[in-house]
Amino acid sequence: MNLLEVKNLRKVYTTRFGGTQVEALRSVSFGLEKGEYTAVMGESGAGKTTLLNILAALDRPTSGEVILGGRSLSGLKDQELAAFRRSNLGFVFQDFNLLPTFSLRDNILLPLVLAGESYREMEKRLQPLARRLGISGLLAKFPYEVSGGEQQRAAIARALITDPQLILADEPTGALDSKTSDSLLRLFGEINEAGQTILMVTHSVKAASHAKRVLFIKDGEIFHQLYRGELSVTEMYERIADTLTLLATGGDVRA
Amino acid sequence: MPKFFYPKLALSSIKRHLQLYGPYLCASTTMVSMFYMILFVAENSGLSKMRGSEVLGQLLRFGVVVVGLFAVIFLFYTNSFLVRRRKRELGLYNAFGMEKRHIARILGWETFFIALFSIAAGLGSGILFSKLMLLLLFRILEAPIPFGFEVRLEAVLITVKLFSALYLVIFAFSVWQVRSAQAVELLKAEALGEREPKARWLLALLGCVTLGAGYYIAVVVADPLVALFSFFVAVILVIIGTYLLFTTGSIALLKLLRRSKPLYYRPKPFIAISGMLHRMKQNGVGLANICILSTMVLVTISTTVSLYVGLEDVLRTRYSREIVIRLDSYEPEAVAAVQAGTEAVLSRHGLEAAEKAEYRFLSLTAFRSGERLLTEKEVEPGLTGVRTSLHFTPLEDYNRMVQEPVSLQENEVLVYSNRGIYEHSTLEFLGRSFAVKEKLASLPGDGFSRTQTFASYYVVVRDMQVLEELRRNLTETEGRSAQTSYIRGFDLDTSAEEAAAVYRDLQESLPRKDLIWVESRDEARQEFLAMYGGLFFLGLFLGTLFLLGTVLIIYYKQITEGYEDRRRFSIMQQVGMAGSEVRSAIRGQVLSVFFLPLAAAGVHIIFAFPMITKLLILFNLTNTALFAACTAVTFAVFAVFYACVYLATTKAYYRIAAA
Ligand SMILES: Nc1ncnc2c1ncn2[C@@H]1O[C@H](COP(=O)(O)OP(=O)(O)O)[C@@H](O)[C@H]1O
Ligand SMILES: [Mg+2]
Repeated sequence: MNLLEVKNLRKVYTTRFGGTQVEALRSVSFGLEKGEYTAVMGESGAGKTTLLNILAALDRPTSGEVILGGRSLSGLKDQELAAFRRSNLGFVFQDFNLLPTFSLRDNILLPLVLAGESYREMEKRLQPLARRLGISGLLAKFPYEVSGGEQQRAAIARALITDPQLILADEPTGALDSKTSDSLLRLFGEINEAGQTILMVTHSVKAASHAKRVLFIKDGEIFHQLYRGELSVTEMYERIADTLTLLATGGDVRA
Repeated sequence: MPKFFYPKLALSSIKRHLQLYGPYLCASTTMVSMFYMILFVAENSGLSKMRGSEVLGQLLRFGVVVVGLFAVIFLFYTNSFLVRRRKRELGLYNAFGMEKRHIARILGWETFFIALFSIAAGLGSGILFSKLMLLLLFRILEAPIPFGFEVRLEAVLITVKLFSALYLVIFAFSVWQVRSAQAVELLKAEALGEREPKARWLLALLGCVTLGAGYYIAVVVADPLVALFSFFVAVILVIIGTYLLFTTGSIALLKLLRRSKPLYYRPKPFIAISGMLHRMKQNGVGLANICILSTMVLVTISTTVSLYVGLEDVLRTRYSREIVIRLDSYEPEAVAAVQAGTEAVLSRHGLEAAEKAEYRFLSLTAFRSGERLLTEKEVEPGLTGVRTSLHFTPLEDYNRMVQEPVSLQENEVLVYSNRGIYEHSTLEFLGRSFAVKEKLASLPGDGFSRTQTFASYYVVVRDMQVLEELRRNLTETEGRSAQTSYIRGFDLDTSAEEAAAVYRDLQESLPRKDLIWVESRDEARQEFLAMYGGLFFLGLFLGTLFLLGTVLIIYYKQITEGYEDRRRFSIMQQVGMAGSEVRSAIRGQVLSVFFLPLAAAGVHIIFAFPMITKLLILFNLTNTALFAACTAVTFAVFAVFYACVYLATTKAYYRIAAA
């Protein structure tokens, strides 16, 4: 059984004034197996963030269904959703979204604190994780005191500390320079090797080429998908770039 | 550049920021209006004809100064807040190539429109409501209401001048604020302040010490006259302490709390402590302002209300009888002349004296140290004690006033003090030791203690012989004769007009005018009314003004915080907090920050209570229960009002924070 099952998602935004409607997602369906590392690609405005927000249960779809670990999200109440999000999902955002009022340590511990863990347990999980992400020495610092890459590492640690079933990442390298991006993508690969399921939204070909599978989204629908199989990162990069060119020129590459 | 470019830009930017400028406009309009009104009332000609108008005039002119000062400080403060909030927008203008002098022009036009609006609207409403204020004051003073409607051109001119000057300075200050900042800084101005605040232990400690010292002074002060001076010292200490504790003390405390890991790493404290830590850094001063303004409102209103409500009480304390005659001698012939003169006047009016009280006194200022009462000459350096006024009176006079006569031995005395029960069993004076047979809780028919300003001791001795002996001894040791007096007080069972006629008659017909003073409670009532009524009016007026200030500060505080919290709470939601949990966390935090100043004001009031009680003694108000009740009611009303403001402004906050 798939870890994540997405069926016919549709999302229509109604603007507050005037009532004009924007169809951000038309009909999106796909499945995600446990341990998969999947990238979702699409142009700006294609509906990637919308999709991720719905998967994260931060927003509700107009119609369609999301099933995670065998449970349908549509039936959950606000309170249950929060608890569900806390224990099953981890987030990494483009602009890190660390709380400026917390030190890195406290930012990373936030989900555990909200879950009511004991402080001893928190420390036990924090130390090895921080070492793995290379931020052990920065824990006492505040977000404004460290670089973007380090902030993003802390954000990843925050996502991983609850040992979630699925990591959702929205353009995690979008605000980083290319060197930092590379090391971050390597980190994602390592995390995935260790068995973590990851869904990453991006419009960067380089970022997507690290994934094992790439979904292309256009006009609110899944347009195409690529499997990495035995391809190297460079080969994958070329395949993705080709697909994007085809998409842009309107060629029919529907799988 | 198109015609009217800057004025148009300025107008549209005021419109766009109505959420910010609306309350500011309201507040400045009200300031102008209130300033005109108090000026109008203070200069009103109807008042000068009133009895006690001198005191009243002084009070009201004092009010004018306070309102003016408050307006200046307050508008300055809110404006600097506005400029800070708008730095980002101004930075954008700057970044898009507008020069700073052009920005200054926009600011200039904005200030001009704001000034124009608030002065015009303020004067309009001020003129409209000035009559109402006058009616209120005359009502309080129980004076006949004057007819007609008046606009005082002079007051209008002063108001216009003051506020034009004020806005000019405000404009200069805003320009300076913008000028001194770089474009990048302007853009970033709002993002600043996210730095973790440092705990400044020394300042926090200093805050504790100053606040403690202020409280200590307020609590231990014994003498009303000393209280007057200590009051100012205590107020200043408490204000300093409040600012220090709100700004540094709170941060130090929160940091201390954060050190305890098992306590800190739980959902509620985790969010609350970290949130408050940053909140206090930015808002410590604002909260301290609210706290001090609230305290001012509470003190002003509770004291003036209790004085006004307790007016009759005060009069009864000060004038034990409707008519009191004082003769500066107790020689039998002079006393007899006064008695005869009084009876003559009364019988002419067909009246009889009721509740007669008569005392003969030998009085002097003395210095009390334990059970010893020392004359000026006897005081040795290094001796600790209090200056008191000391009165001896014969048993005969006392017994006339009580149901069960007392008898005394040669060396026995009864002692009464207006500062609580006398503590010792003996009393030493001029080398004589008296045994205190009874410590009196009151001196029947008292009211001669004049004001309650000084500690007074009344010593009832066996007879006139003891009194005369003391007098002789005093003349010898002091080299001057002690003051003697005869006091006769009585009530009249008649109309106020008749009583006034008796009073005038007594003043004219009694012999030895140089030695005689006649006082009438009713006459005094008018003067007391002018003073306490004036204070009451001023209390209400200033209380309203301070309240307005409090509300505005609260409003702006909520708005700023709303913008800052929005991001925080959206992140929390993403990390796994339910919307309802987020809302309850917001509520908890806002609630604690919001009601902290009120709670602190409450504590200030509690500690100020003993001192203010003493101060009120200077105004002859000894009814502590009345003052306690007034304070409690004022606090309750204020708390309700505060809660309403909370609810109203919190809506604005949620609209922003939860967007
Ligand atoms: N809250 C919203 N209200 C209205 N329209 C929205 C909202 N959020 C996104 N949209 C619209 O939905 C479309 C998809 O947006 P988004 O999911 O953010 O795209 P992407 O992340 O792929 O760049 C865009 O056209 C955007 O304008
Ligand atoms: Mg996006």
